[in-house]
Amino acid sequence: MNAALSGNAPIGRRALLKFAGLAGAAAILPLSGCGAAPSTQNGVTTLRFMQNKPEVVAYFNQVIKDFEALNPDIRVIQDFNEGNFVPGLVRNDPPDVVTRGFAQATADFVKKGIFADLSDMPVAATIDPEIQELISSWGQYNGNEVSALPFSLAAAGVIYNRDIFEARGVAVPTTWDEFVAACETFKAAGIAPIYGTYKDPWTLAQGMFDYVAGGSLDVAEFFSKLNGRGAAITADAPESFANNFGPALPKMLQLASFAQNGAASKNYADGNAAFAKGQAAMYLQGPWALSQLVAANKGIRLGSFPLPVTNNPEDTKARVNVDMALSITRNTPNMAAAQRFVNYLLEPSVVNTYNEKNAAFSPLKDAPAVENPQISGLGASVKEARYYQGAGTYFPPSVPLNNYVQSFVYSKNGEQFLAALDDEWRRVAERTAV
Amino acid sequence: MTASTLTDTLTGAAAPARKARRSRRSRRSGREGYKVNWWLTALMIVASLTVLLPLYFTVAMALKSPDQIGTGTGLAWPNPMNWENFAAAYVATNFPRAFMSTAFVTVLSVLGSLASSSLVAYAIARNWNRKFFRGSFVYLLSAMFIPFPVIILPLIKQTALLGLDNPAGVVFLHVLGGISFNTLLYIAFVRSIPVELEESARMDGATTWQVFRKIIFPLLAPMNATVGIFAFLGSWNDFLLPQMMIADPSLQTLPVVQMLFQGEFNTNYSLAFASYLMAMAPTLVVYILAQRWVLSGVMRGAVK
Repeated sequence: MNAALSGNAPIGRRALLKFAGLAGAAAILPLSGCGAAPSTQNGVTTLRFMQNKPEVVAYFNQVIKDFEALNPDIRVIQDFNEGNFVPGLVRNDPPDVVTRGFAQATADFVKKGIFADLSDMPVAATIDPEIQELISSWGQYNGNEVSALPFSLAAAGVIYNRDIFEARGVAVPTTWDEFVAACETFKAAGIAPIYGTYKDPWTLAQGMFDYVAGGSLDVAEFFSKLNGRGAAITADAPESFANNFGPALPKMLQLASFAQNGAASKNYADGNAAFAKGQAAMYLQGPWALSQLVAANKGIRLGSFPLPVTNNPEDTKARVNVDMALSITRNTPNMAAAQRFVNYLLEPSVVNTYNEKNAAFSPLKDAPAVENPQISGLGASVKEARYYQGAGTYFPPSVPLNNYVQSFVYSKNGEQFLAALDDEWRRVAERTAV
Repeated sequence: MTASTLTDTLTGAAAPARKARRSRRSRRSGREGYKVNWWLTALMIVASLTVLLPLYFTVAMALKSPDQIGTGTGLAWPNPMNWENFAAAYVATNFPRAFMSTAFVTVLSVLGSLASSSLVAYAIARNWNRKFFRGSFVYLLSAMFIPFPVIILPLIKQTALLGLDNPAGVVFLHVLGGISFNTLLYIAFVRSIPVELEESARMDGATTWQVFRKIIFPLLAPMNATVGIFAFLGSWNDFLLPQMMIADPSLQTLPVVQMLFQGEFNTNYSLAFASYLMAMAPTLVVYILAQRWVLSGVMRGAVK
């Protein structure tokens, strides 16, 4: 027994070490082979396409299937795990084609030169220059590169319940006075004019704050002047919030007064459920809420109109955001294939169909008029480029705008609200000044 | 008539039916003075509701159609039940593939944690008198003070260079990340095992490896259960590490794939809950089967 044990022991240890060594080598050798090499096998190039809207994954799977049928030498893998984008950059193996909502966060990547210049691509010429401008207004790499081509433009206004409007004989308002009169009509009939979801402060910022600000002043110009002033901004400067947003605030409070009772304790999901059941006539939400409303009530008849903030119908504008913009990463080893994929996505039949089906607007110059009755009310504003990007989207994430808007709606103290915004803006400008 | 006199009068009766009732009664106020503590029972009911109620919501939600979700208080049981939610979630997440990936990560992480931490703990505990081992213990412990998000980007770079940007890398990091805490648990336990047991084995000629494999490791069973449970839950539910580490979307684990149901502004609640329920199933089944060891294991860890 003793002998057997001691005889076994050295072999056991040696075998163990050998096993550990082999296992280690086996783990590292084959794996290190598959780094960031160009992904071409048997003449088939594999592209990775990252998009950040989980709700359209199934739709894009079909688009990809159609593309692969036409281009048998390219295989496209869809990845909706946007959290993997920055790690992809870190490991120098980012996805080849990326779509993101285009605003400040994506513009930061653009300014660092992460995306390739697409201005030479023929499809770039088919894009409506006004919509392309929405992207380049955030800053361009080297001052002139086109880092992203818009794929889908979301326009937001007031979603309204057509049945309630028709039952009360209310027409879609085109001026602020008409809008207030419509609200009074609903209120008198015991219907909540607007469904408020103040528990989710972002709904306040994207709803009443962006709409009223966008309708009463030139948002893009205001922020470009504000940025020009940099850290020198004070409350009494002509570029300050205090000196520009003042006239907008009473209208925000008036909007708030038309919300149902108990709006403070309702969140976005509550709002969707209640509005779908017809508990209010209007809802200050963008097209992203439409699918949720229809899911909760298939029979609901919805429409949208841009919120009129002045009494001149010509001033009425819609809030837009570039919901999807296509980019190609600069260092991709599959540039030719990636360009073919982007070209395909921007073919009128593909891009127009996507937007028609997903309650958004096509970015192409000669896009057909939108027929979807849920958003057709915003069509004229988009066609004539009477739109703005939400004032809230210009704020750096370190300024908690949503919470400030929320506390303003509760406290009704406009002076304090604007002074806080000026203070916060200056603080951030001081920190980030180079 | 009080309960105790009632039992007394019943004691004499011989009918078997009465006997059965008596035994039930005697449980309530038996001869040993066992009484129901109604306050404590109420507390227990509330406590179990904190687990059962969310579980009920999960099951009910998973069986609802989208238009049933918005109606009522949410407590109502869906009628009719929508079993096709499970099928839809199964297809949308490509469940079998994601499940296998998660299972691969979890099984290897559990085995790796058990093997590596117990070995390390044994080595350190039995060489406590040497400076190097004491130092290495402090070194391992100090890893617990580094918050994970601080090192995630360097780790991503490093694992990519080593070709570990895949589930194998996640396993590796799970094992590595668990070493400090698990070793802490194991060391305390190894110390409580009498050295004499090992000495007698050595008298019979056992090597260190044999002592560990044949004597120490089996004695560590309660702590193995504790560490195994922590490792299992930690890697089965882990979101951040797989999300950032696994480059190939087709190898992604369940918690990450399930993001599919949650857009920025849209949540498909019924499919999400159906999918969560399917992902939870293995944990629940393992818990129900292994309840006894889970509880005893956690308790051992708490006392020793």
